[in-house]
Amino acid sequence: MSSEPIERRVSYLGDRLRGSRCRICGKEYFEIRDYCGKCGRKSFGKMIETDLFFEKGKIEACTLVNEPTNKFTKLGSFIYGIFSFHDGKIRVPGRLTDRMIQAAETVDFTAFEGKEVVPRFRRRYSVDRSDVIPTISLAFTLAEEYYPHQKYTVSRMNKEYDLPGIIGYGVYTSKFRIKEGNLERAVPFIDEDSVTAAVEAGKLALIHSGIGSTAIGKIYVGSESNPYAVKPIAAKVAQVLKLGEEDEDVQGVDAVDTEFACKAASSMFKDAVSLVHYPKSDIECAMVIGTDNSQAAPRNSPGGELDLFVGYGAAAFIFGKQDVIAEIEGWYSCTSDTPDFWRRDGEPFPSHGGRFTGDPAYFKHVRKAASKLMEKLNLKAGDINYFVAHQPNVQFPVRVAKELGFKDEQYLPSLQVAKFGNTYSGCSPLGLAAVLDIAKPNDRILVASYGSGAGSDAYSFVTTSQLMDKRQRQKLTVKYQAENPFLEYVDYITYRRLKLGM
Amino acid sequence: MQIRPAIVAVGRTRFGEHYEKEPEKLIEEAWLKASVEANIERKALEACYLSDYFLPITNKLGLEEGWLSELTELHVPMEVTRSFGSALSNACNAIKAGTHDVVLVGGIEKMTDRWDKIRDDLMLLEDPWSYYAGCTPEANHELMLRAYIKKYGVAGEDLDRLNTALAQISVKNHLHATKNEYAQYQRKISVEQVLNARKEARKPLGLYDFAPISDGAAALILTSEEKAGKLTDKPVYILGSSSATDYLTYPERDDMTHFLAGETAAKNAFRAVEIDVQDIQILELYDQSTVMEMVSLEDLGFCEKGTAWKTIYDNCQNYRGYYEISGRRLFVNMNGGLKADGNPLGATGGAQIFEVFKQLRGEAGERQAKSDTELKYGCVLELEGFGTKGYVYVLGRDQG
Repeated sequence: MSSEPIERRVSYLGDRLRGSRCRICGKEYFEIRDYCGKCGRKSFGKMIETDLFFEKGKIEACTLVNEPTNKFTKLGSFIYGIFSFHDGKIRVPGRLTDRMIQAAETVDFTAFEGKEVVPRFRRRYSVDRSDVIPTISLAFTLAEEYYPHQKYTVSRMNKEYDLPGIIGYGVYTSKFRIKEGNLERAVPFIDEDSVTAAVEAGKLALIHSGIGSTAIGKIYVGSESNPYAVKPIAAKVAQVLKLGEEDEDVQGVDAVDTEFACKAASSMFKDAVSLVHYPKSDIECAMVIGTDNSQAAPRNSPGGELDLFVGYGAAAFIFGKQDVIAEIEGWYSCTSDTPDFWRRDGEPFPSHGGRFTGDPAYFKHVRKAASKLMEKLNLKAGDINYFVAHQPNVQFPVRVAKELGFKDEQYLPSLQVAKFGNTYSGCSPLGLAAVLDIAKPNDRILVASYGSGAGSDAYSFVTTSQLMDKRQRQKLTVKYQAENPFLEYVDYITYRRLKLGM
Repeated sequence: MQIRPAIVAVGRTRFGEHYEKEPEKLIEEAWLKASVEANIERKALEACYLSDYFLPITNKLGLEEGWLSELTELHVPMEVTRSFGSALSNACNAIKAGTHDVVLVGGIEKMTDRWDKIRDDLMLLEDPWSYYAGCTPEANHELMLRAYIKKYGVAGEDLDRLNTALAQISVKNHLHATKNEYAQYQRKISVEQVLNARKEARKPLGLYDFAPISDGAAALILTSEEKAGKLTDKPVYILGSSSATDYLTYPERDDMTHFLAGETAAKNAFRAVEIDVQDIQILELYDQSTVMEMVSLEDLGFCEKGTAWKTIYDNCQNYRGYYEISGRRLFVNMNGGLKADGNPLGATGGAQIFEVFKQLRGEAGERQAKSDTELKYGCVLELEGFGTKGYVYVLGRDQG
């Protein structure tokens, strides 16, 4: 049972933490008001819309909730409290997220009070499987922990390029990991899913690009784990990140979800650059996000082999022509109807064709796309600084890289599957981000994604000097997230529970 | 000349778990007790003012007036509000205006009919945004305590004393309830029990710091003073009353260490009567939690801000049945308070008025306040939500 109109209003306000400020007296509200309660009628038309989405807050007072209300029971125990922003001018209720409190754990509230926090966009609470999923950003994490606060500053653009390319990017993976053997994999917290990761990655990409969110005219979100069969992730991302010009409560942006197994996002890179390059298009920038809470049946059940490799995360890229950090030289895509991996509608977990996913599927398509593009651009392996392949496991990308003639130093920097697991649609984009994090100007990067079903998109990027200028804006690099001292490791049972979500 | 409303009779049910009873059986029981006491027939009632906080949610009962009309076979004006305080306020206005001479004020709640969802309902009604953020009915009380400790810089041994004082509030209320045949919990508890429950919960407050979930009903018959003289020789007058409101969302309030609605209502209620706060002898506070009772002592002006815990601690070292403040005896929550008497929301205020009525008339039996002076004045504070509304009633045996 839920009320969709209430859901719309609550998430409209709560996802972005929208509010208002009186221009006369400065009083702030966590609600959109037409007039100030203090100043009354004279403040009509003098209220400024504000939001706390990119702000840093502070814990004023907190307590432990260990007997939550019904809809919060899956969160177990959590810290609930009062959070202030803007030097205490505005206070909101909220809970600390990304924190598992053990049954016997004693929480020292004084250790939290006064600490700085970052608002996080999360699922609000549990509802029936048929209901609209409630979301909210009244969930916070400590700014000194895994996810630091980063200011979002819209900068003036310096240079317009002839051809479009990447102007900013962001990768988001959660704070939780499961470690088995040499493989570490990102695990969502229980209030996270592919939608929340998409928003986080998009937020980080905006921060990195320095572009105003209004400049984004199109958003593509590629995923194979959208919690909805019908209802786009892209609409949520557009609304929360305020993409395009906002008119009343509607965003002036085109938003669409795409699906092609793990290449749902990488496929759209070329559409994004084409769109911003089309002379009659007034779209300045386009955003592409690959996001997945990668699905797998439990171990020891049919298809359960995937359970050893699946990760969680999202990567977002903004394409445009201003202050480009990596230009696109060219691309090549290929497709065949190869049923190596699929998920029927209504099924919770994907199935796969075992060994059939290898040679006739992954290798055939990745090799084809990469070699065709190299041929087209007249490139040899030695002309390329970095090679990025889709990474369903460690062996596949290494083998295909070697087959294409790449050396360890060319493909190892992008090989992230051992740190985050296979992030499905976010997988090769995450590899690309890891390379962009360390590349120098004028480096050439070859990306070859793979999507089961089956196809591959190969791209050649050449970095620019702007890469170095923008690098300092992003604290949440791939390396930072892989080697973060605040990572929390969970056991198998917890991993399955967290992945299942609220 | 202003007509002063007078209470001529009160009645109530035991508070607790009444699984076998429909809600109307509870209000009937309370009303019958009051009508027998006043010796009046239901036909004498000119209007009914009923309160229930959320019967439409717990029992899917809408239009409670029609249901009361069937029960009483009366077709008089009836109004339903959320709290006993508000029902009584409307009743007082009708009497003062001369619209009616004899009215019934009743309160009822049937919370155990919705055990499984009651905390979600309570929290959503208290404040949806806090609910969305994960708040529970208990959490705000704990946050108020945290804010209080911080604001007044209570630390070290003082903090231990404050925590003990809060436990003593619960112990005192349970002690009082042992002599209240209507109370939900008629048993003593110890300070150690309260402290242990907090330890077990790993929170600033534990099980024994909070009022329970209850069913129950309370009723009273309110008349003009002229009519009261004919019905009883010991009417209790409503000398003054006021109410005030505050923001729904607790974190948005300017001061998070007390209840502005309670403080404002008290100020206005006492301004209207010519007695001092310190003249109050019988005080019924709204202790949804021990913190609420503590800060309310300050809000009503019995203690300076930030000091109530000292008064409580000093008086409870060797509790004599009352707090001694500036040489005067103050009897607080003689019925056991919400903690031990029970808290069926819409009826709770009725039980508070019931208690002051009985005490002022010297009819409280075993739990009769042992005052060294004649009992003249009582006061009731009722809050709605987490202090979103506050009602204060000043009652007295004299007409004032």
